[in-house]
Amino acid sequence: MKKIFAATLGILTAIGGFVDIGDLVTNALVGSRYGLSLAWATLGGIVGICLYAEMSGRVAAVTGRGTFDLVRERLGPRFGLANLIASFLVTILTFTAEIGGIALSIELVTSVNYLLWVPLVGLAVWLIIWRVKFSLLEDVFGLLGLTLIVYAVALWQLNPGWGDLLHQIAVPHKPHEEGLLPYFYYAIALFGAAMTPYEVFFFSSGGVEERWTKKDISTSRVNVFIGFPLGGLLSLCIAAVAALVLLPRNIQVDTLGGVSLPVAVAAGKIGLAVVILGFVAATFGAALETGLSCGYAVSQYFGWQWGKFVKPRNAARFHVVVLLSVVVAVGGVLTTIDPITITEYSVVFSAVALPLTYFPILVISNDPDYMGDKVNGRISNTLATLFLGVILVAATAAIPLMLLTKAGQ
Amino acid sequence: MSDGRELDLQLHLLDRQVQDPDRRMICKVDDLELELDASGRPYVTAILAGPRALGPRLGGRLGRWMAAIAGRLATPEESEIPRIDFAQVTEIGSAITIARTSDELNVAPLEGWLDRHVIARIPGSLHESE
Repeated sequence: MKKIFAATLGILTAIGGFVDIGDLVTNALVGSRYGLSLAWATLGGIVGICLYAEMSGRVAAVTGRGTFDLVRERLGPRFGLANLIASFLVTILTFTAEIGGIALSIELVTSVNYLLWVPLVGLAVWLIIWRVKFSLLEDVFGLLGLTLIVYAVALWQLNPGWGDLLHQIAVPHKPHEEGLLPYFYYAIALFGAAMTPYEVFFFSSGGVEERWTKKDISTSRVNVFIGFPLGGLLSLCIAAVAALVLLPRNIQVDTLGGVSLPVAVAAGKIGLAVVILGFVAATFGAALETGLSCGYAVSQYFGWQWGKFVKPRNAARFHVVVLLSVVVAVGGVLTTIDPITITEYSVVFSAVALPLTYFPILVISNDPDYMGDKVNGRISNTLATLFLGVILVAATAAIPLMLLTKAGQ
Repeated sequence: MSDGRELDLQLHLLDRQVQDPDRRMICKVDDLELELDASGRPYVTAILAGPRALGPRLGGRLGRWMAAIAGRLATPEESEIPRIDFAQVTEIGSAITIARTSDELNVAPLEGWLDRHVIARIPGSLHESE
């Protein structure tokens, strides 16, 4: 039984990374507009996140230090602080979007306006971070989020031409009627959504919470290589069902209801019920992940005691940061800015912040002073350097493309 | 650490995590205090911690503000920058381990204040998570 639960940290991290509110919307939106012609961006993101999450997990297991702790140590206090500010802003923006996402999911069931749910949702998220043990949290939300497998079931029910589907995935192409700039804008959004920086903060900090040592490097790898591909597969399924159901009917996705529509068509009422449960679980899991990551990043930079493995009284500053982040996020949703819009922007801004997180991880995982004989191998270094180049291009192009395309219109 | 081991301060000490013997995190090495020995060679005497040590290293307006605000908030008995004598250091690894606990050292006044005035007042703060 323990073996089954051993991978839940990776699954929860990946659900937060691949099927949180940002990805749910982006994938369905892209599927309904571009079919599967952008699947390469998601697939690239899966490989990239696996590479870098494996490194950060290995670093956490060997050194017992979280990512931001080492970011400051390697980049120095000034650049480290600039990095902290950028990453924190992206993470809290995503946290805001997730809280809005949970409330929107509950609105789908209750038909009570989401704004009324927001304070309650904020309280629930905070209570869980305050009281619930880390391992329980990852088991419950990791496994509940897997109900989104219903998208794979829906895809099966739709019984598409599998050969044609694979062809669409394998051969990158751009639909003729779409412009080149929006196409690449969405490619970066998908890539950014897959590789969001808080995934590695959360994953490596989770490893420290679970008190990983050198012996747990294999556990870390199991988590990475089960969790992230599974999460990526789910996000591809979402794009695929949107491509099959919404694209031919010219339906554009601009609400969470629109994201669930293809499942309702393919798998009926029960499918819809399961999908909404999946939305609540996945956005809730992502909210916990981003909320904790806000506290992890700040505490690790300043060297404060952090984590749920000690009593809150022994990590007072960490818990105050988390509490304030919840207040800011709840306040952000209550401004009535559309959470879906917040989501779309947070995904693009995370693309901009990517190199800041991934470059130091690559440096540290190559440093024998910390890592001893567990430094990167040649293959992982070659691939990681290649990806760093891609990440740099994506980060540089993200804002200009956002402005030129008016956020993909 | 009186064996006179040579260290690259930038690489091995500055910005590294400081922890107590139970691996509880205490602070970062925000700055170092150096003195000169008889032959004029510098050696490390203490680890300096907190915003007043970090601020000057950050530089710029933000660094000055950080140090100034922390200076204003400090009570008269906290007028000196929190320091940990380097003789307390027992190990220099991926973190720096010292022989004392954070309660004995009291290098983080903000932690104590937030604990007493905010966290301790919330129900459940004394228990481990369940």
